Amino acid sequence: MTSLLEVSGATVRKGERALLEDVSLRVAPGDFVAVVGPNGAGKTTLMRVALGLQRPDAGRVTVNGRDVGALSPRERAAFLAWLPQRVQVSEPITALEHVAAARYRFKESHRRSEESALVALARVQAEALASRPITELSGGEQQRVAVAALLAQEAPLVLLDEPANFLDPAQQLELYALVGQMWRSGLGVLCITHDINVLAHAMRAGSEGRIRVLGLSKGRVAFESHYDAPDLGEHLGRVFSVRMRGVEVENRRVFVGMSLERGE
Amino acid sequence: MRTRLVVMLAVCALVVAVAPFVGPPMPPDARDFILWQLRIPRTLMALVVGGTLSLVGAVYQSLFSNPLAAPSTIGTTAGATLGALVAIVLGARTALWGLPLITGAAFAGALGVSLLVAAIAAGRNVRMNDLVLAGIAFSMAAGAISTGVQFSADSAELLTAMRWTMGHLPQVGYQNIVMLLPIAAVSVVGLLTLTRALEVFISGEEHAESQGVNVRAVRMASIGLGALGVAGCVAWCGPIAFVELIVPHIVRRVLGVSRRVLLPCSVVVGASFLVLCDAVARIILPGRETPVGLVTAALGTPLLIYLVARKSS
Repeated sequence: MTSLLEVSGATVRKGERALLEDVSLRVAPGDFVAVVGPNGAGKTTLMRVALGLQRPDAGRVTVNGRDVGALSPRERAAFLAWLPQRVQVSEPITALEHVAAARYRFKESHRRSEESALVALARVQAEALASRPITELSGGEQQRVAVAALLAQEAPLVLLDEPANFLDPAQQLELYALVGQMWRSGLGVLCITHDINVLAHAMRAGSEGRIRVLGLSKGRVAFESHYDAPDLGEHLGRVFSVRMRGVEVENRRVFVGMSLERGE
Repeated sequence: MRTRLVVMLAVCALVVAVAPFVGPPMPPDARDFILWQLRIPRTLMALVVGGTLSLVGAVYQSLFSNPLAAPSTIGTTAGATLGALVAIVLGARTALWGLPLITGAAFAGALGVSLLVAAIAAGRNVRMNDLVLAGIAFSMAAGAISTGVQFSADSAELLTAMRWTMGHLPQVGYQNIVMLLPIAAVSVVGLLTLTRALEVFISGEEHAESQGVNVRAVRMASIGLGALGVAGCVAWCGPIAFVELIVPHIVRRVLGVSRRVLLPCSVVVGASFLVLCDAVARIILPGRETPVGLVTAALGTPLLIYLVARKSS
């Protein structure tokens, strides 16, 4: 069964202002789509629309051709899983319980859920955290556990909403390495970020061309490109209102932003 | 953890077994009557009411992610009080098919106000805080009407009303327990089936929705079933304060926050807690009976403060 997420012509208005205007994208298993743009460009609105948490005022969001709003939450959870910016638990439940809760969509015994949760924790090398209260973990550990929850949900498409926003550089690297693993294991990834360079941690040499980059600016699609496109720097610069240049560091392409005033 | 669970359950069982024998000494010739017609039904009533109230408290605290959420948060108590007051002013001695008017009216009032809040919860873009505010608004409205009703009441009626709001376990026969039991059973069993969904709620409503929980349905079912159970309890016993607040906190501190433990254990501990309070109410003032609502408040408040203080130190 192929699981194709298609956003076509999505428009969201808040009063007079358009938060999202005529945005289209598609994600299939094995795809990596990065949505980049400055804060306030509509990235999070796009994610909420794609998840079916918010209904677009115009346009459609479909999974396998079925309208995402017409699916029951359980059916939808079988296709789409979501990794928020940070785990916000209201109570000190253990990491294991948090991951086991992500198995809600399966009608199975609690024991079975816990077994699957342990497997998922092992896949992100976090077995040691299983019995620790999630509120006592560091930000990086929490996101690691959240990735385990994402895996435990066993959805073919994962939607990541600036998942490394609150992490330090080492934790960012670690998290995106996990994202890269998920991608290579065949999942479709839709990743929202304002920092394009974190994606470098998710890829291996040669896979740059397979990462699609969608620039979002003021609610509209500003450009569609690939990570290895020669003019990606210029596109990014325009979206972020800076000059951006791609440079090679240890065989990885990263982008450096510079102020507009001082030209070369 | 397992030991703690066993110890807790053993203490609960012990309390329930001993409680009927606690009280002023029973004259030998009236012993059977007092035990079987007064104390055992009272104990049974306390079991049902305590268990139901505590579970509803635990569920509401989970649902609203708020440690202070209680049936009164969504207006259940205020609605019941209004219903009871109206009945008292109209003539509390009337009864319909063996059901005292005051009980029926309190039940209708509690359920009516709660269902209004549940209807708001059905809205698509409603946030949990909106529900708390709606509950407060309805409580204040019901309170204002109650004041108006009190104004037109005479002093005897006012005294009855005041007694009623203290919360008490009435001298009921088995018949009333049989009437309350199905209401409480539907509420308790229904709420316990929501345990798994409430586990997912811990990481936020939207996250739960993305993981497959039908948030609106769970919200409505929780509030509706909770209101039903509480309305039943309040109808017969008046608003017994603090039980629904304190018991889940005790269970949480002793056995942890896991919903699979917290919810069922709240039923058991809550049931025996109210039985204990009722037994204390019988002996605390010699010669007369204290309303059990005073005992729950007096026992529960220091306990809660102790638990909070111990945690923060």
